[in-house]
Amino acid sequence: MTPELERRSAEERFRVVFQHLGTVTAYARRRGSRDADGIAAEVMTVAWRRLADVPRDDPRPWLYATARNLVLAERRRAAQTSDRGLEPEPSSPAPELEELDPALSRALRSLSALDQEALLLIAWEDLTPSQAARALGINPTAFRVRLLRARRRLRASLDDPGAERLPAHPGQLDVEGT
Amino acid sequence: MTSDPITLRLRRANPVPRAVAVEADELFAAITAARPDRRLRREVRHRQRVLVVALVLLVMALVASTALAISDWLGEAVKPSVTKQEYLAAQKELALPPGASWPTFRIEPNSVTGRGAGGGHAVLVAQNAWECYWVHAIREGDNAAAARAQSVLTGLLAQNVLEAPVGASENWTPPNPPDRPYVVFAADGGLDWVRQTYALAAAGKPLRLIQSCNANAPG
Repeated sequence: MTPELERRSAEERFRVVFQHLGTVTAYARRRGSRDADGIAAEVMTVAWRRLADVPRDDPRPWLYATARNLVLAERRRAAQTSDRGLEPEPSSPAPELEELDPALSRALRSLSALDQEALLLIAWEDLTPSQAARALGINPTAFRVRLLRARRRLRASLDDPGAERLPAHPGQLDVEGT
Repeated sequence: MTSDPITLRLRRANPVPRAVAVEADELFAAITAARPDRRLRREVRHRQRVLVVALVLLVMALVASTALAISDWLGEAVKPSVTKQEYLAAQKELALPPGASWPTFRIEPNSVTGRGAGGGHAVLVAQNAWECYWVHAIREGDNAAAARAQSVLTGLLAQNVLEAPVGASENWTPPNPPDRPYVVFAADGGLDWVRQTYALAAAGKPLRLIQSCNANAPG
């Protein structure tokens, strides 16, 4: 296969992955990124660079896992800037999260980061439990257990708002790893 | 679709319910301007290697099945060394006329032959040698030699020549092959023609016998 044919073959394969740009952007916004478009573009750049790692049959879990890492990195950078007493980088906020039902938002923030992500991958990203397990890098059985537990905790938190823990980052969901 | 009330409530609260529409042609071009993942080339080569191996295996399977078919067609296929041994062994059982000698049996080293072919070749060599001996005896007016030749050839047809069943080819192998060297004639009238040739020669009409001697003499 000539280099030109190899490139074309790679581009065709990447085009399938790239079709998910909009869903990755939406994911980043839902997770409170201040620069969801930038995160999605970076995810796609990483996907091109590591295309051999991206599953051909279903790239979404891989893309979400990468996006999650980039959102966490963005948040760490923002925290460092804040710790140094500097102004945070001027970028668009995540207005969508402001519109989230306050009770639900508080209840979600009372959960661990992985519990939150397990619930949201199913409810917002519309992944199956197996896909969500791949996105979190855990086995499907462990994911189902975590999901069940997370639902119970969220329900308990909604039923008893006093049991909520204080959010680490008000106005933003905590998606960092435990 | 889940019916879990918590998941349904979360789903209704999705702040970005749909994928975001993005104009991305320029982004696609910018990203793919960089060099693609080198490991893709290895993947392609790996797939090509797998394809080549699969093709080789397929060809080997075809060759093997063809060899089996040939083997089945020939009966039990044997190597040239076995055929040559059969030819040498047959020489001890078959007599040649005075003055004749066994020609070297040339057989290609990579050929396969049915079992018994070496003995069959020896039978044909002996038959032709006796036919020519008979022709020579007729020409010389040596009636004793002619009678001896006729006797040997009649015995050869009776003992060492088999006729395949009607419809079977000369490659037919008898279910219980005889211990002695033998050759198979197809049931196409050829054996009758040979018998008639000998009968005609014995009756003083040796033309066909002469033709047979000339046609089948080793070159």
